[in-house]
Amino acid sequence: MGAGWLFLFAVLWSAALLFGAVFFVIMFSDLESDYINPIDLCNKLNQFVLPEYAAHAFLALLFLLSGQWTALLFNIPLIAFNVNKILNKNHMYDATEIFRSLPGHQKETYFKLGFYLISFFYYLYRMIVALIAEGEH
Amino acid sequence: MASPDQQLPPGWEARWDAQYNQYLFVDTTTGHSQWEPPAQQGIPPAVGPTPSVSPPPAHHSGKRRQYAAGQTQAYYASDNALNDPSYGAAGPGLHAQPAQGGQLFTPGLVGENQFAAQQGPVPGQTPYYGGQEAQQPDYINAPGYGQTQQPAYGQPPVDALASQFNQMGMGQKFQLNTSNLLNTPPEPRELHRPPPEIHLPPNAAISPSPLANADPSYQRSTLNAIPTTSSLLSKSKIPLALILTPYRTVKEGDEPVPLVTDTVIARCRRCRTYINPYVQFIDGGNRWRCCMCNMSNEVPQLFDWDQVRNQPGDRWARAELNHSVVEYVAPTEYMVRPPQPAVYIFLIDVSHAAVQSGMVATATRTILENLDRIPDEDGRTKVAIICFDVSLYFFSVAPGDGESTMLVVSDTDDVFLPKPNDLLVNLAECRKSLENLLGKVNEMFQENSIIGSALGPALQAGFKLMSPIGGKITVLSSTLPSVGAGALKNREDPKILGTAKESGLLQAASPFYKTFAIECSRAQVSVDMFLFSAGYQDVASLACLPHYTSGQTYYYPAFNAARAEDAQKFAHEFGEVLAMPIMLEAVMRVRASRGLRMSSFHGNFFVRSTDLLAMPAVPQDQSYAIEIQIEEAITSPFVVFQTAVLHTTCYGERRIRVVTLALPTTTNLSEVFASADQVALATLFANKAVERSLTHKLEDARDHTFKALVELLIAYKTSMTSGGAGASGQLAIAENLKMLPVLVLGLLKNVGIRQSAQIPPDIRAYSQALLTSLPSQLLIPYIYPTFYSLHNMPPEAGTIGESGVVMPPPLPLTSERLERHGLHLIEDGQTIFLWVGRDAVPQLIQDVFNLPSYEVLRGGKVTLPILDNPFSQRVNAIVQKTREMRRGVYYPHLYIVKDDGEAPLRLWALSCLIQDRADVLPSYSQFISSLKEKVSTT
Repeated sequence: MGAGWLFLFAVLWSAALLFGAVFFVIMFSDLESDYINPIDLCNKLNQFVLPEYAAHAFLALLFLLSGQWTALLFNIPLIAFNVNKILNKNHMYDATEIFRSLPGHQKETYFKLGFYLISFFYYLYRMIVALIAEGEH
Repeated sequence: MASPDQQLPPGWEARWDAQYNQYLFVDTTTGHSQWEPPAQQGIPPAVGPTPSVSPPPAHHSGKRRQYAAGQTQAYYASDNALNDPSYGAAGPGLHAQPAQGGQLFTPGLVGENQFAAQQGPVPGQTPYYGGQEAQQPDYINAPGYGQTQQPAYGQPPVDALASQFNQMGMGQKFQLNTSNLLNTPPEPRELHRPPPEIHLPPNAAISPSPLANADPSYQRSTLNAIPTTSSLLSKSKIPLALILTPYRTVKEGDEPVPLVTDTVIARCRRCRTYINPYVQFIDGGNRWRCCMCNMSNEVPQLFDWDQVRNQPGDRWARAELNHSVVEYVAPTEYMVRPPQPAVYIFLIDVSHAAVQSGMVATATRTILENLDRIPDEDGRTKVAIICFDVSLYFFSVAPGDGESTMLVVSDTDDVFLPKPNDLLVNLAECRKSLENLLGKVNEMFQENSIIGSALGPALQAGFKLMSPIGGKITVLSSTLPSVGAGALKNREDPKILGTAKESGLLQAASPFYKTFAIECSRAQVSVDMFLFSAGYQDVASLACLPHYTSGQTYYYPAFNAARAEDAQKFAHEFGEVLAMPIMLEAVMRVRASRGLRMSSFHGNFFVRSTDLLAMPAVPQDQSYAIEIQIEEAITSPFVVFQTAVLHTTCYGERRIRVVTLALPTTTNLSEVFASADQVALATLFANKAVERSLTHKLEDARDHTFKALVELLIAYKTSMTSGGAGASGQLAIAENLKMLPVLVLGLLKNVGIRQSAQIPPDIRAYSQALLTSLPSQLLIPYIYPTFYSLHNMPPEAGTIGESGVVMPPPLPLTSERLERHGLHLIEDGQTIFLWVGRDAVPQLIQDVFNLPSYEVLRGGKVTLPILDNPFSQRVNAIVQKTREMRRGVYYPHLYIVKDDGEAPLRLWALSCLIQDRADVLPSYSQFISSLKEKVSTT
C-alpha cells in the first residue's frame, strides 16, 4: 500500500523539481539574450537554490525511510554533488562571475532537467508497478 | 647621436619618437622604419664572426621563409649592404670602413648579440667576482669624464634583416621571418618596436588620414591580420583578443581626441555601429553602408551642415570620418537622467596606527593642496569627508567660512546618516570651511588610541550619502577591517604559502566585498583603495571593490610619513588621482564585424550583460582585455572593432567616446603568425594567468601560461618550418614573436604569479591587481624590467635631446651585466633600484651621492641629491625621466642597493633580472631548453 502512495508523491515532487529546472533554463537563456541583468538574475535564482536541494534531499530521505533502495541509490550521486557544492561554498550564483561561468551553469541545469525527467518516468513506472501489485493482492 | 640626419644614407630620414625617446629611422622610399641607424647596416657588431663569412646563398632571397641556420649567418654577413638599394654597388669591402674608429673597450656593449656571450662569461670581460684589481675601472673611461667615445651601437642586426626582407617581398603583406630562439638572445629594444604594421586593403578607409586607424595605445589586437575561420585561428594557437585603454591620457605631443559637438550621430540602424572611416557612401552619398553588418543606412540630414556657421559643411572634414578615436557630445536620448556632478567622498582611517604612521596628516594635506586640481569646472563638484576607527565621524560643513561640526555615529551595525544635509557639500561653495576642516583633522585625532577599523560600515555610510548621485569613494585605510559588515580576520598563514591552498588567500574572504561592489556598480559608485598597513590587511578582499567598480587599488606597505620618500610617493600618486579627470556613469561596449564575438572580458569593471561593461567611474590609463571568438567564416577583406564608451565627463557633459580599429583578414597561416603582436599577447597572458590563479591554483596558472606558449611554438614548428627534420638544432618562432618567451618568463617570475613560499599574500594580491589593470606600456616593464648601466653610458645619455632626456641603451636582464665597479639602474615602473658595485670608485660615489666612499653609503629608499657635477645631473635626469616617461600616476621609489648590502633588498633587486636563475625559477636559457624539450617531444 505504502509504495504506491510514496511513488505517487515522488511523481508529483519530481514534476515540481522539473518545473524548477525549466525555470532555471529559461532564466539563463534570458540572461544570454539580455532580457535580464545578472544582479536580478542572481537574486532571483539564489532564493531557489537551497529549497531545490532540500526538496531533492527530502525525497531521497523518504526513499531511505521506506527502504526503496534502488530509488535511493539513483538519487545519491546528485545529493553528493549538491552537498559538495555547498561545502565548497559555490552553490550560490555570483553576479560578478556569472558570465564567465554561464556555460557551466547551463550545462548543469540541463543535466538536472534530464535527471528529473528520467526520475519522473521512473517513479511513474514504479507507482504503476506498485499499484498493480496492490491490485493483485 | 647629436644629429643623426647627417649620418644617414640618401632616402633615409631620422624622426624623433617622443614616446620612446629614440630616433626612428624611416626609409622614405619604402616607408619602412627601424630603430637602428641605417648607415651602420653593413657593419658587423663589435665582436662578431669575422667579416670574411661569405654571404648566404643567393637563393634564400626567393624563399618566403628563412630558416634560422641561414639567418644567423645573415646576421653577420654583408648581404644587408648588398641588398640595400641606397648602397648601390658597395661590395663586401664596405666592412673595412672604420665607422667605429677609436673603439674603446666597453664590456657592457660587447657581444650584445651573442647568446653565449650573455649567458657565459664574456671573453675578455672582467669576471664579475673575479676580483682583479689590475683592470682599470671602466668608470674612468666612461663618457662624460673628459674622453670621447663613439657610441658603439650594439646593433641588433635583426632589424637590418627585417628591412631587407621588407624590400624583397612585396607580394605578401605580412612578411614572416623565422628566428631561432636558441641562438638569438632577447634584445630589450625589440619591445619598443611598434606592433606589426596593419596593411589594410587599398580604399578600405574613406579618409587618407593616418589617424583613421586606432593607435596601439588605445586599442591593439593580438593579431593584426584576423584569420577568416576559427579553424585557422586554432591552428595557429594564438589567442585572439583586444587590449584596450579607451581613456588613455593625452600627453604632450599626443594627438588630442577630436570632439564632435553638433550632436549629429550617425549610427547603423541594425547593429548600432557609429559611423567611422571604414564605412562606404553609396547612392550618391545619400546613404552609407555599415562596415560591420553591410546594412545600408540613410545619412542624417544635418550631416553635411555646419551648425556653427549655419552653412553647408564639408562632410569629408568631419572628425568621425577622419579619426579613429573621436568623442561625441551626446544628445538627451543617451541620458537616463541629467548628467551627474562629480562627487568625491573620502573615507579616512583615523585609528591609532593610521595617525601614528602619518598617513592621516599626509592624506589631509594632499587633499588640501589638491583642492584646486579636483575637476570642478562647472562648480558642481561635491565633496564629503568621513573619518572612521571603530565609530564613524561625520563632518557637517557649513557653506562659506563657518566652522564644521563633528558628528559621531558609533552604531556600526545599522549605519545611518546623522544629518540629512551638509554632509556632502559643494566644493566651490564650502571651499573655506573644507580647508579649515582638512587642516584640523589630523590634530583632532592626534591622540586617538583606538585600534580597529569599521571600514565596512564607513563604506555603507559613504554609499548612503552618495547613492542618489553616484561618484567616487576614496578609501584610505591602515588597518584590517575588524568591526561591522565586511570585518575580516587575519588569515595569513605562512604554512600554506607556496602550496595549492595559497590561491584561497587571493580570493575575497568575505562575500560583503562582492555584494557591496555590485550595489555600488548599480548606484554608479566607484571605489578607490589606498592601503597602508604594516601588517596583514587582506588586500585580496579589499581589492575586490575597486576591481568590480572600475576603481584602482594602491598599496603602500608599511607606510611611514616620517620617511620623506614614502610621503612624497603617496602624496604624488594621491594628488594625481585627485586631479585626474574621470569618466562617470560609464558603460562600454565593443562591437565587431559579423562573425566575431566578444567571448570573455578581463579588467576592472562589472559585466552587466553579455557584452556590456559597467564602469561607474573610469580612471585614466586603465587597460582591459577582451577575448574574441570567430563564430562564422569571415568573407570581407577586413574587419572592424569598435569600442564605444558612453559616459559623463566630470564637467557634467554626456559624451560618447568611440575607438575604431580596422584589421585585414587573411586565409594564410604564415600571415597570422607574422602579424602577431607580442606585447598584446603578453598583456593578455598576464590577465588570464591572474584570473586562473584565482579560479584554480597559482600552479595551474603558471602551467597554463607555459602550455599556451609551448602550443604556440609547436604550432609554429609543425606548420611553418620543415617539420621534424631539423628538430634538433633550433627552436623556431616568428621574428615578431621572439620576445614572447622572455615576456612569459618574466610573467612567470612576477611577484603576482611566481612560485615561492615567501611572498606575503598582500604583496601578491596587489601585484595581481596591477597585472590586470596596467596598460601595456606599464605592464611590459613590470614583467620585463629595464636595466641600464650608468657608469659607462654613452655621452648623450642623461642630457636633453630633441624631446626630453636621452636614455642609455637598455641591457639584457642578466646579472652578468652587473659590474663590480659599476653603477646600474633597474626599474620596473613601480620601483627603481640603483645598484652600486662594491668596487665603485670613491669619485663615483662622491659624484652621485655626495659621500666619500662606498663604505659610508647606506642602502634603502633615498632621494638622490642633485649635485653640481654633470654626472650627477645626468643620473638625476635619467631617474626623473624614468618616473615620468610612462602614462599612469605611479611614482616609483628609488632604492640604493649595495652589492654587499642587506640581503632582502639585494635579492629583491636581483629578482628583477629575470634572465638569471633564482632558486627554483629557471634562467632564460633553462627556460628555452625546457620549451625546446616540450616542443620536440610532442
